[in-house]
Amino acid sequence: MIVLLALWITACSQKPEALQYGKDACVHCMMTIMDRKFGAEIVTSKGKIYKFDSAECMLGYISEKRGQFGDADTYLVVNYKSGGTLMDARKCTYIHDQKISSPMGGNLAALASEQEAKTFLGNGNGKLLTWNELVK
Amino acid sequence: MKRILLICLFAVAVTVASHARTLVVAVNTALPDLKAAVAEAADGDTIKVKKGYYYSYNTLITKRLTIIGDGYPVLDANYKEEVVTILANGVTFSGFVLKNSKTGSMRDYAGIRLHKVHNVTISNNRLINNFFGIYLSDCDHVSVIGNTTSGTGTELTAGNGIHAWQCHDVIIMNNYSTRHRDGIYFEFVKKSRIISNTSERNFRYGLHFMFSDDDLYQKNTFRNNGSGVAVMYSKRIRMFDNLFIENWGSSIYGLLLKDITRSQIVGNRFVRNTTGIYMEGCNLMTANNNTFINNGWAMRILANCENGRFERNNFESNSFDVTTNGVLNLNKFDQNYWDKYEGYDLNKDGTGDVPYRPVSLYAQIMEQIPQSVMLMRSFMVNLLDKVERAIPSLTPESVKDINPKMKPWTR
Repeated sequence: MIVLLALWITACSQKPEALQYGKDACVHCMMTIMDRKFGAEIVTSKGKIYKFDSAECMLGYISEKRGQFGDADTYLVVNYKSGGTLMDARKCTYIHDQKISSPMGGNLAALASEQEAKTFLGNGNGKLLTWNELVK
Repeated sequence: MKRILLICLFAVAVTVASHARTLVVAVNTALPDLKAAVAEAADGDTIKVKKGYYYSYNTLITKRLTIIGDGYPVLDANYKEEVVTILANGVTFSGFVLKNSKTGSMRDYAGIRLHKVHNVTISNNRLINNFFGIYLSDCDHVSVIGNTTSGTGTELTAGNGIHAWQCHDVIIMNNYSTRHRDGIYFEFVKKSRIISNTSERNFRYGLHFMFSDDDLYQKNTFRNNGSGVAVMYSKRIRMFDNLFIENWGSSIYGLLLKDITRSQIVGNRFVRNTTGIYMEGCNLMTANNNTFINNGWAMRILANCENGRFERNNFESNSFDVTTNGVLNLNKFDQNYWDKYEGYDLNKDGTGDVPYRPVSLYAQIMEQIPQSVMLMRSFMVNLLDKVERAIPSLTPESVKDINPKMKPWTR
């Protein structure tokens, strides 16, 4: 009984899963996820996980499957600066800059805070964006 | 008067040309490295580098020079920088060993970088252990011929072997690329040709197109890469006479096509791949005269592909010939040879008298319940497929070859 209960609880967990670089494939563009500066993940309220090689792929997937995902789902993106670590996508600040060669040509980098993004941008002519501006 | 002036100009040009010098670089001489020689040289000169070991921390080639390595001299960046960057038009760079570029994550360090140049030839170099091998950005009319490039061999610090971004009229010929992320990578590259290259054991793709139109790749071999070739978001790509071999594993394909239009796949061979061709969102494709041997899935065509024509191909010893995830309307199969065809040919014209349906019932079941793969080749599955072939009811009506060949096409 306890085992069953444990199974039931773990089966419903909404824990994100680390991206396996070089192994996992992007749900949207089918490419193998390779570049540690980029990557994204959706964890649905039911615990289903979708992995992406870049933020632009996740955005593309969300708009393609309009209505499938909502406020209850967790969106995660990889920190461009530290690489490999997932952060809450809604709270991130994004840089759009031609110099950033993200896997699907979105020129998009995710950073933890507005402060971090500003320091990273420096005098460059990139543009800062929030999550809400991106999903539009 | 004008004519005399022209003649004078011509004479000057000739004398300048005839005064082109040859500078020789050798260890422990007045010109101890390439950098010193470039500083010394003028446009049109030739620099000959003698056999030896040189350190090269991003040597900039800023003049129109012919640079030739004599006996494969080594240029080593010692993990600190790029090795060589070419910033002048009309440069020829040939016969070097270039190794150990920096492997940064923020910048794409390369063995040979070309930026905003044209009429440059990079030939017969050996690139070893660089982040990116040969990196072209904003270039046109560039030839990359007969080079070999072997990457870092670790998944996380591997860049692309030959990387082209925003170029046109480029020729990539007779190169060999291994241990990189993608063997050859094209992003925004138009009207270019990739001929007779070999790409093997790269981590992601042997050859990768993104947003690149009107390109041709022909007579290349893609062996044992993450996936063989990926063509994405591109138009009018011609894929002729290539060999896709041993690209094995989950979510791994011989040829992965996503959102491409008006492209041709002709005369290729797909041997021992998990999936020979995977197509998603492809319009107006033609796949003719190809051979599929010993693949798990020969072709997987998703239902959002339209107006495809698949003619005169050979399908032999594949676990599944064609699978799809819905109905395949407006796609035409004609005159293919299917080794699983069990029809008859009463009038002996070489064409079977009953149509062949390449999507088996079992493949349809697999689509709904992937776990049923464990029943493959079982008696029940064979029985199901036999019944379905005799009285088709569940397999898609639209996917059929009306003129299946009795004998394989000879190539």
